[in-house]
Amino acid sequence: MNGMLGRTRHREAERLATGVREWARPRVFSALWVAICLVVSTLPVQAEQTLRFSGSATPTEPLEQLTVHGALDIPQIRPLLEDFHHRHPFVTLTYRNLTTLELNQRFLAAETPSADVLISSAMPWQYRLANDGHGQTLNGPLADTWPEWARWRHELFAVTFEPIVMVYRQELEEDFGAPQSHDALLNLLEQHGDALRGRVVTYDPAKSGAGYSYAVEEARLSPRYWELVAALGSADAVLEETTGAMLKGLEEGKYWLGYNLLGSYARDVVDADPALKMVIPKDYALVTQRLVLIPTRAPHPTAAKRFVNYLLSEHGQRVLAERTALGAVHPALEGPGTANDLKSRLGEALRPIRLSPALLATLDDLKRRALLTRWQREFRRWQPSPSSGKPGAALPTSQTTSASRPDMTGENTSAAR
Amino acid sequence: MKRPDSLYRRLLIWLLVPLVGLGALMLVQAYLDARHTADRAFDRLLEAATLAIADRVQWQDDQLWLDLPPAALEMLATDAEERVFYALYDGDGRFITGNARLPGDTRPDRVHDSVHESARGDTLLYRDIEWHSLTLRQGIRRSRLEDWSLQERFEVRVAHTREGREALTLSLLRTNLAYIGVMAALAIAALLLAVRSALAPLTRLRRAIRARDPRTLTPLELTLPRELAELRETLNDLLARMRRVRANQERFIGDASHQLRTPLAGLSTRAELALRQDDPAAWRSALEAMQATSDSTARLAGQLLSLTRLDNPEATPDLAPLDLNALARRACRDAWASCDRANIDLGVEAEDTPLMIDGVAWQLEEALSNLIDNARRYGAHCITVRVTDGPPTLAVEDDGPGIAKHQRLLVLRPFYRGRDGGEGSGLGLAIVDGIARSHKARLTLEPMANDRGLSVAIHFTGDR
Repeated sequence: MNGMLGRTRHREAERLATGVREWARPRVFSALWVAICLVVSTLPVQAEQTLRFSGSATPTEPLEQLTVHGALDIPQIRPLLEDFHHRHPFVTLTYRNLTTLELNQRFLAAETPSADVLISSAMPWQYRLANDGHGQTLNGPLADTWPEWARWRHELFAVTFEPIVMVYRQELEEDFGAPQSHDALLNLLEQHGDALRGRVVTYDPAKSGAGYSYAVEEARLSPRYWELVAALGSADAVLEETTGAMLKGLEEGKYWLGYNLLGSYARDVVDADPALKMVIPKDYALVTQRLVLIPTRAPHPTAAKRFVNYLLSEHGQRVLAERTALGAVHPALEGPGTANDLKSRLGEALRPIRLSPALLATLDDLKRRALLTRWQREFRRWQPSPSSGKPGAALPTSQTTSASRPDMTGENTSAAR
Repeated sequence: MKRPDSLYRRLLIWLLVPLVGLGALMLVQAYLDARHTADRAFDRLLEAATLAIADRVQWQDDQLWLDLPPAALEMLATDAEERVFYALYDGDGRFITGNARLPGDTRPDRVHDSVHESARGDTLLYRDIEWHSLTLRQGIRRSRLEDWSLQERFEVRVAHTREGREALTLSLLRTNLAYIGVMAALAIAALLLAVRSALAPLTRLRRAIRARDPRTLTPLELTLPRELAELRETLNDLLARMRRVRANQERFIGDASHQLRTPLAGLSTRAELALRQDDPAAWRSALEAMQATSDSTARLAGQLLSLTRLDNPEATPDLAPLDLNALARRACRDAWASCDRANIDLGVEAEDTPLMIDGVAWQLEEALSNLIDNARRYGAHCITVRVTDGPPTLAVEDDGPGIAKHQRLLVLRPFYRGRDGGEGSGLGLAIVDGIARSHKARLTLEPMANDRGLSVAIHFTGDR
């Protein structure tokens, strides 16, 4: 099983400051997992953060316990949890922030899962858990009226709406004009590739699960994606592993253009920095969603259903829209930070990653290797030599290794930092 | 309290129970059909998905390689959002890739089955499996890579949950259910009408019978279906018999009144004549004559009474075991005195061992005394009471003039005197006949040898 794997590579302080959570890449080999654990444990900060709200029984309601495991940074989810606690003071709520990989591994390893609710942005993995029958059915008026495109079998609910965006610096706009679409980006790269050498940054699909899953989706959308990859390669685009790293380089002025950043993380940074602009591509924009799942063997199913119902409710979604950058899905909500708002502005261009078995194909090991091989071949098409010593060239030192053993390389890189 | 049986209910039950059974069978059949149809439709998805996957299997880096087409998996998930599983195995059953280690199928390749063989020569196998507590429909495609120098076998296994199939089964079944429901409703309605109309003539017959004057015995005139027409004919036969019986009774009453009136008129005349005389001797002779007449009248009245009692079909006598031999001897003893006075030889021929039958002793004694009396009155000189076995028979034989053949049945009618000259009432044989009938015995009148004399025999052929 290969998919998005979350791995903390930042320092905790950085992650908290930027509110960025990255996706990382997956590997199922347990030896590798041990390696990751070792790496993680050598980092100065703990990968796990916990937020706890103690509840007290009210005259009408007895005390309830609830444990939520999420791949969602605490600053992002805190407003939501606070509001939930305010509305349900009788629930003692423990929120544990994990990487997507940890979340998945922990759940599968545990004999009796400690989590009552799993929230993760790693859509294929969450889908696979539900597909394998690990999810509990949630019925009720809220679940029934939830948009069909945002739920699966009443077991999996997409509660956020986060577009994938481009971020550019003012310098780019001044010199070449700002690309508003993939088409414009391709033209820009083809015409001014030399000028932009090393100034364009995007996800490394070999090292980042998120980058990989976007590549899968974009390759499905249009064969012209490969032209874009080739153009990125010819411009010696830098490959990063996280939105946070891309944003950091953009802030520092190292990069002028970032392609395929997670909009929910980019928004706050762009709002804070007048030199940065965020573009949701006009021709098509991928949209990723956080999926919520109640495990079949959740220790506190009642509280879990209460929490998920809260996430699906209008007030929960309003908190998402107004106090986080995650984007609300609820069809009744309008205005900034909602899916309706984005849809009315972008219409058909929005391409939410569909909750369909196609996500399972993303996790296929051979599929992944095949796609990465193709991606790297296309990326190198116009490059003079594969081992160019140009600054910013982010190609892994060994192509074959990166295709077949991407995590090891990724780990080594991060450990070296 | 048990409700009385009803033809209507009986018909309904016998028609409805098979109908309901048939309906249940149709439901089961409809469900199986719908399920089969749904499976056939959805198995095409398994076929297409395995084909899409098999098309992308290649030989690369010295191993089987699959560039999994996402559409193949999406094919397997319909609106019912099935769970989807797939796996690629090589010819030796080694797992290559997939999201589940699906079990293999041990069934052999169906090489010659054109239905299950696609153009590529692949083998397709479908079946339902239980896998990790999920009920799945699995499709397996056995295929091979056709390369220049390579013929690598591989197996694509896909499976999905049955929600879509069940939804289709249900919707097909619902359509069928609507048909079956409408048919059942029509059938039941038709049934009710049919039973009601079939039983309508019965109601007409009942009304016709109820509307009749109880004294009329005229035949029923009513158009009825054949089965009921038979009943009507039977009823009419009964009515005809009742008419005859009533005619007999009227004649009997007439005869009886006539018979009683004659001696009473004689008595009255005799008394009147005697009163006109003053001679006590004349009085005495008149009184003697009147005593004889009143004796015979009393006897006549007694006979009429017993005949009436015997003719009453509702009076069933209590039969008790009795010995015919003893009965015959007792009757002879009783009659011996009167016969001896008339110089008639009366004898018994009976075995010493008892011959037991079920009967009413006083009736049989009455019959014997009537027969002996008859023989005595009609000029016999020798009377023999004979008891024989096999079947038990009680016979009275005399050497009198006998009865002509054409009169033998008539003499059984009351007040018929076959042999004139006697002073009998004409009731004796009628009474014997009645007694024989009440014993379910057969009465025969036969002449003795030489066409002289008469043998009246009661054969107890009935239930012993």
